[in-house]
Amino acid sequence: MRISTAEFTSQAILEIDNQSSALQQTQNELSTGVAVQTAADNPVAASQIVQLSQQQAQLSQYGTNLQSAQTRLTLEESSLSSATNTLQSIRDLAVQAGNATLNDSNRAQIATQIQTQIQALLGTANTKDSNGEYLFAGYATQTQPFATDSGGNVSYQGDAGTRLIQVSANQSVADSDTGATAFMNVPAGNGTFTTAANAGNSGSGAIDSGSVTDLTQWTPDNYALTFTSPTTYQITDATTGTTVVANGSYSSGAEIQFQGVQVSVSGTPAAGDSFSIAPSSNQSMFATLTQLTQALTQPADSAASKAQLATSIGNALTNLDQGISHLSTVSASVGARLNMLTAQSTINTSTSTTLATQQSNLQNVDYASATATLSQQMVSLQAAEQSYAAIAQLSLFKFLSS
Amino acid sequence: MSDMLNTSVSGLMAFQQELDTTSNNIANASTPGYSRESVNLVSVPGPQIGQLSIGNGVAVNSVQRIFNQTVASQVVSATSAYNQLNSFSSQAAQIDNLLGSTTNGLSTQLQSLVSALQTVANSPTASASRQAFLSQAQQLVSNLQSDDGSLQTLNLQANTQMTSDASQVTALAQSIATLNKQIMADTSPSAQAPGSLLDQRNQLINQLATYANVTTTQQSDGSVNVYIGSGQTLVTGTTASSLSTIANPYDPSEDDLAISTPAGLTDVTAQISGGTLGGTLQFRSQMLDPARDGLGQIALVLSSAVNTQNQAGLDQSGNPGQAVFAVGAVQVLPSSSNAGTPAVTATVSDANAVTANNYILRYDGTNWTLSNASTGAPVTMTGNGSAGNPFSADGMSLVVAAGAQAGDSYRISPTRAAVAGMQVLLTDPSQLAAAAPLLTSATTGNTGSGSIDAGSVPNPATWVRGDYTLSFTAAAAYQITNAVGTVVANGAYTAGAPINFNGMQVTLSGAPATGDSFAIDDNASGSGDNRNAVAMAGLLDQPLIGGNTSINGAVNQLVTSIGIKTSQAQAGTTAQQAVLTDASNAQQSVSGVNLDEEAANLVQYQQAYQAAAEAIKVASTLFQSVLSAVQS
Repeated sequence: MRISTAEFTSQAILEIDNQSSALQQTQNELSTGVAVQTAADNPVAASQIVQLSQQQAQLSQYGTNLQSAQTRLTLEESSLSSATNTLQSIRDLAVQAGNATLNDSNRAQIATQIQTQIQALLGTANTKDSNGEYLFAGYATQTQPFATDSGGNVSYQGDAGTRLIQVSANQSVADSDTGATAFMNVPAGNGTFTTAANAGNSGSGAIDSGSVTDLTQWTPDNYALTFTSPTTYQITDATTGTTVVANGSYSSGAEIQFQGVQVSVSGTPAAGDSFSIAPSSNQSMFATLTQLTQALTQPADSAASKAQLATSIGNALTNLDQGISHLSTVSASVGARLNMLTAQSTINTSTSTTLATQQSNLQNVDYASATATLSQQMVSLQAAEQSYAAIAQLSLFKFLSS
Repeated sequence: MSDMLNTSVSGLMAFQQELDTTSNNIANASTPGYSRESVNLVSVPGPQIGQLSIGNGVAVNSVQRIFNQTVASQVVSATSAYNQLNSFSSQAAQIDNLLGSTTNGLSTQLQSLVSALQTVANSPTASASRQAFLSQAQQLVSNLQSDDGSLQTLNLQANTQMTSDASQVTALAQSIATLNKQIMADTSPSAQAPGSLLDQRNQLINQLATYANVTTTQQSDGSVNVYIGSGQTLVTGTTASSLSTIANPYDPSEDDLAISTPAGLTDVTAQISGGTLGGTLQFRSQMLDPARDGLGQIALVLSSAVNTQNQAGLDQSGNPGQAVFAVGAVQVLPSSSNAGTPAVTATVSDANAVTANNYILRYDGTNWTLSNASTGAPVTMTGNGSAGNPFSADGMSLVVAAGAQAGDSYRISPTRAAVAGMQVLLTDPSQLAAAAPLLTSATTGNTGSGSIDAGSVPNPATWVRGDYTLSFTAAAAYQITNAVGTVVANGAYTAGAPINFNGMQVTLSGAPATGDSFAIDDNASGSGDNRNAVAMAGLLDQPLIGGNTSINGAVNQLVTSIGIKTSQAQAGTTAQQAVLTDASNAQQSVSGVNLDEEAANLVQYQQAYQAAAEAIKVASTLFQSVLSAVQS
């Protein structure tokens, strides 16, 4: 085949150009460390890289969310623990107030101390987080959740919402509990029923908070335990009007059993004295404490009022125990969520590492192969240049002229 | 003796001619388009002397231009194919760099918006995170607009490129016509056409092929007729047409190509292919416009989804949310040849159903028809085009006023102007609606298994705000009372069926017992609620577009399709370059000058010339011998 001299030169230069361009591309990959810089470099890989970096950014946001939830839950945990301590101190004071040797003024002093503790508990319940949001207010985080009215009653002003924070693609966690859950919805009495002494009782009989012996026999109605004489009593179901126990024989401190539950009355009740037994409902901790302070500030100068006081203190202690146990239940749920967050954080971190590895495999230069390509391309370019230089020297004219 | 002299002289003359031709070849060894020449010699027969016949020397028959039309045509077509791909791929690379970056693209911006929303969801009352969301939204809008602006700049560059290419084509056409004239003048029936003029004309046709597809037909008078694209006459004999750019009849921002004919300018945009003009047109229709429309679609769907979600929630002050983004309206461009003057207004009725296509709306005198602008496929419209019952197609509503003339047409681009007109409407960070509008709960002590969903406010305009209680008067009958106990709604209960009242909607499931009740409260004070913000953050992965593609998916598809087109064009360019090199090699193999060959020829002709001169010397010596014999 004839080769045109001019074409030979222009082709050699084209080839050298192409080789230089490929070399420059490899050099660029090596110097940036990135093999896929734009979608055109490798459309399929680029699409995957974009998705992987989206997922990574999402995971990193989940990490931020997780920390935010952790912060609030940790704060809640410590708030609940301090509320438990407060209730424990109040319980100690209530036990102290039950000492029969105390006089009215001693009890009034204890009531004052309890008042101070109530304020502390109120402060805990109104805790704000670092963003200035009330922790126990539900969604109404700008509304102080617990407020005291003029009558000294504490009511819940928040709502029933629980904020869910997304911590992974398909997992959300509540970053707090509502004040209603934590402080208001505490089962009263022993959890099944409550006991109370009739305010008009004239004897010294005091009722304890009772216990359940067989829940299957219990019907949640209102019952009245009425003393027909200081040694006999009857129990009627006030809801249905039927008589449950027609004629019981009373001895102080003995268990009175009916409908699968038992209560005991101690002291000397007078004929006509009565005690009520009602199904348990939820009661706020603050209501329990208010009732306790009110009972402690009543003068206890007669046998009847002393019996009333004993019943009130007994009920308050039961309710305080319920409160402490309720707080520990809520606290356990917070702890479980914190454990879940820790586990999720580990999962997110390892997923992120996997994604980063995948992305790196797709996007980053394989230095070994790129270096090999580089030296191969350098050899090719050098060969193209050297061969051109050598061949371009060839000319018949040279030989003819010599 | 005189025969010998004449014969030798004819040899001298012939070799002189060959040496001249060879030196001309050597001189033009690097001239682009030059075809080497060679001398055709014929021996001159001598008179018959008895039974003998001795030749009478040599004569130059012709100087032949070594040229093969077939391989030359292959070079022309390979040149236009290569230049089309090369022009397309270099322009495509600009869009690829703009939108195809794997590290800093649109998807990163969208992800940042989601992260900002999630941060708001972590602490909806923190104004810093709300402000961060607004800033991120602003940032997204300016990034989209910067991308769109760069695409518009590329469009302007394409216009400039086409104008400059068209004027080059015109100049080349004129030069070819001029050469045609010279060649026709020099080509008398017997005379040979001058090779240099033919080479020049051929070279001009090659140059023309870099701008567009070229075909030629050889005429008997020596001229060639030149056609570009799919047969648009550019040169006929000595007459050249001119190629120029004119504004697109619909969109003045996009130039079309027009060729001058005796009847005036004819739009030949659709007919031009090949060369840099073909490459630019292809780039504009396959990459530039789809990229702008694709970005617009993403902006449209994103803003529609975010707006709807924000309007479904309550802002930090407890008020129903407002639209977050505004986007540019549907672009309706009347054809410049329209005779009537009706107003066609187009609006988006369902952003998720809107496509990134362009449409042509035509009036034939009685009916309006809609078709896809690039494929021409008809698009079905419902409605009658009136304000009360507008035409409806692909998520658009079209209202046409009276006054159209038959033949009028409009180009409708639902997403083209979306990005340019995009803005963030919220000015106050507190206006982000992070909270859901209602707070529902089952009353403690319910004995049935009924449960209530979160509820929604489908129609904020008719929403009568307040706290409501839904209670079951029987297992299958409910009533809804407001805060003062007035019954506002009642009905028969069906599990899972939505209950609508006072602009609100709730859905209950399970089997509630008689006496069970549910609270449906106004969440006005719930500024710590993040439900709406979480829902908004999840929008990007919802299959919104056409009911099957998420916004993230659409971004990915856009970037991937740009990458695929660019890399295909780059691969095609490399392949076509090889084809061009082969064609050029084949052509040069026939017509190119090889200096070694010329050197050998030079030696050969020099020796022949010297031999002929020697023969003259011998003849002279012989003559002298005869003279001296006679004299002595």
